[in-house]
Amino acid sequence: MSAITAEPPASTGQAHHPEVGFFHKYIWTYDHKMIGIQYLWTALFFLLVGGGLALLVRYQLAWPNTPVPLIGQFLPATVASDGAIIPGGYNMLVTMHATLMVFFVVMPLLIGTFGNFLIPLQIGAGDMAFPLLNELSYWLYVVSGFLILAAFFAPGGAPGTGWTAYAPLSAEAKYNGTQMGQSLWGIAIFVNGLSSIAGATNYITTVVNMRAPGMTMFRMPLTVWSLFITAILLVLAVPVLSAAAAMLFCDLNMGTSFFKPAGGGQPLLWQHLFWFFGHPEVYILILPAMGLVSEIIAVFARKPIFGYKAMVYAMIAIGFLGFIVWGHHMFVSGMNLTLSATFSVSTMFIAVPSAIKTFNWMGTVWRGSIEFTTAMCFALAFVTMFVIGGLSGIFMASTPVDLFVHHTYFIVAHFHYVIFGGSILAIFGALYFWFPKMFGCMLNETLGKVHFFLTFIFFNLAFFPMHNLGLGGMMRRIADPTVYEHLRQLQPLNQISTIGAMGLGFTTFIFLGNIIITLWNRKSHPAPDNPWHANTLEWTVPSPPGHGNFPVTPTVYHGPYEYSVPGLDKDYLPQTEPAPAHVKLEAH
Amino acid sequence: MKFLLRLLPVLAFGLSPALAEQYNNLYWAPPNVTVGGEEIDKILNFIFWLTLLVFIATQAVYITYLVKYRRRPGVKAHYSHGNNKLEIIWTTIPVLIFLGLAIYSNRVWKELFRNPPPDALQVNISSYQFGWDFRYPGADGKLGEVEVKGITAENKFGVKADDPAAADDFTATELVFPAGKPVHIILNARDVIHSFYVPSFRLYQDAVPGRTISWVWFEVKEPINLELACSQLCGKGHYNMKAPIRVLSQEDYDKWFDGKVKAAAQARAMDDEKSLHAAAN
Repeated sequence: MSAITAEPPASTGQAHHPEVGFFHKYIWTYDHKMIGIQYLWTALFFLLVGGGLALLVRYQLAWPNTPVPLIGQFLPATVASDGAIIPGGYNMLVTMHATLMVFFVVMPLLIGTFGNFLIPLQIGAGDMAFPLLNELSYWLYVVSGFLILAAFFAPGGAPGTGWTAYAPLSAEAKYNGTQMGQSLWGIAIFVNGLSSIAGATNYITTVVNMRAPGMTMFRMPLTVWSLFITAILLVLAVPVLSAAAAMLFCDLNMGTSFFKPAGGGQPLLWQHLFWFFGHPEVYILILPAMGLVSEIIAVFARKPIFGYKAMVYAMIAIGFLGFIVWGHHMFVSGMNLTLSATFSVSTMFIAVPSAIKTFNWMGTVWRGSIEFTTAMCFALAFVTMFVIGGLSGIFMASTPVDLFVHHTYFIVAHFHYVIFGGSILAIFGALYFWFPKMFGCMLNETLGKVHFFLTFIFFNLAFFPMHNLGLGGMMRRIADPTVYEHLRQLQPLNQISTIGAMGLGFTTFIFLGNIIITLWNRKSHPAPDNPWHANTLEWTVPSPPGHGNFPVTPTVYHGPYEYSVPGLDKDYLPQTEPAPAHVKLEAH
Repeated sequence: MKFLLRLLPVLAFGLSPALAEQYNNLYWAPPNVTVGGEEIDKILNFIFWLTLLVFIATQAVYITYLVKYRRRPGVKAHYSHGNNKLEIIWTTIPVLIFLGLAIYSNRVWKELFRNPPPDALQVNISSYQFGWDFRYPGADGKLGEVEVKGITAENKFGVKADDPAAADDFTATELVFPAGKPVHIILNARDVIHSFYVPSFRLYQDAVPGRTISWVWFEVKEPINLELACSQLCGKGHYNMKAPIRVLSQEDYDKWFDGKVKAAAQARAMDDEKSLHAAAN
């Protein structure tokens, strides 16, 4: 099928756009590429903040109630006293770490940065469908960021009820003691939700309406597919969280009783609303990562994606099933027990598409010609870490086992393998891969390899022992495990994990150093248009692409993964180049 | 240095027997102590071996591919868009495995949540920020009924005032019960959500304010001392919200029980006397 699916944008030529001033180039811009880069810098800032909070959490768990070296005395009184973290402060650190990492780091990096930067470029569009809405979405994200950080300075301190903010602890000031902080959390989540909904609406419209001639749905790169499905999940799931956050705010400040049993409310209602959002959210955090990784693996294995359509269908299945598994967070919440059994079955089934994707990645490297660039190393490690995270999820899907490991460090290990070992590794890989296109210069590969190996080692050192801690019975979100007889002996594991986390913190600076050095000397290693010999449309234009992206609207002749086609001189075939008459492309 | 020494057994996966003894619990769950808990351990072990096998198998293939198909001059990658037969195979196999696992899990789940035996010792547990209260049936062996809406600062358990069975109930600040006898807990929360968690029981259950959770019961095989932990973030003091659990022999339990019943009767007598005096004056 090669029907023209959309009108090309009226004017895409760079010549139509005069030079703009600093403000309109970097601050208030309608250019999707710059918006993507705005998201990148902001999210990297939050990555440092969220990572710093994680290190404080880890320090307290390894060496409870001892003064934090160097920075302890600078911590606010709500968090630490005499430099040592206090239990209430520990809860705040945990809550803010999780909230920042989920809503202000991983989502903005995957969806904000790569969604904005890649979608128009990979489908051959000049920009997003609604550039103003796009920039508005970024600034709403910034506003929500200020709001959440402000919670640290609120009277009583930051919220300490976990990122899940279970009511009625979160809904009544007399129980949590942080009315202002918790309210700010609610508002921040609400505003952040508006940003996500605005962004997602834009992505869906752009993908449906603005594909270049010849770019059929099944010729779209998997990155675009994954972001498209993610955007649909966002539009369906985020409003539920926004509504819940608004209800929580009313309960806290206006005397309503949505979640307070004393006034006839229902604490479980919060959990249902939260997890109705929360489980699709888990897939929102991993689907785009899968898309990015698929792209990188195909390019550096020099092979078409094994089972392209199976990959697409698997992502659609994950998106659909993601909406009917939320109850598995509530097996032991006091919910009806028959419901638990039902959710257990749907949860088992959502593992199937993930397994299919894993097998297809393995099929893609099979008989490839693999080049181990830094981007490829991260993408390959993603697959293994994702397998560990997926397999450990099976323990929780089994209701009787969940009875034992629920709310322990086993869960903490599980989701860090998926979100750090999965999403963050994919983000690192994707940054090495698309950095040349974003900034016109190549990141240093040697520093990149150092970054990769240290990340891989320290990541596993930090998070693998958490499985054992969880099996040993260590609960999540406790400020001091040593108060329990049966947990005291597990301390060596906590200390190993903390050493790993410190290593990860250190390694992040190697990465940032690489970015800074590269940008500082950007002229000394300029990026060619197509440094990786990849097929997708973004590599047919200069690095970085000019305003409007494509001087001439491209025409697409085939799918994005035609690598190593027999009979061709080069081992790739850009989507804009028709296959020569003597070459036959396989249907996918 | 001492710290490094403590790390050694962890890093070297338990080498010296003496050290391994000291840290015998680093790699696995604490021993199960309940009847039925071994069913959970069986599934846990089964899933562990299954996932380990899957992990090793997939990674062995994956790493072999990565080594074997690394870039070499003159070797071109194989051009293939996939294989539908393979897709069907590797979709069907996981479906069957997961279906089996779901059936197995749900069968055990049903078994775990069958109705408590009628002769079970009923204990009412009321959780609050940040502690646990326990209420036991007195000499009549019957626990006074609980009404969630009746929970107030004075009536911590929300006991129905007109229930005659409640008259001789007594309270405790620790969970004490005999080994070898089923214990049926009636679980409440007075303020926020708490959670009843004992790893050695293989048991976790949320206590939700406004609800009475009455489907949890267990039977511990041998006398043992443990700690009850709260496993749902409930505020500043959450980390330290614990209570002792003492599982006694029937004989020791009877002694404890008699002592408690007598003390409760005395306290009631004193109260009655006081109120008599008050009435007389």
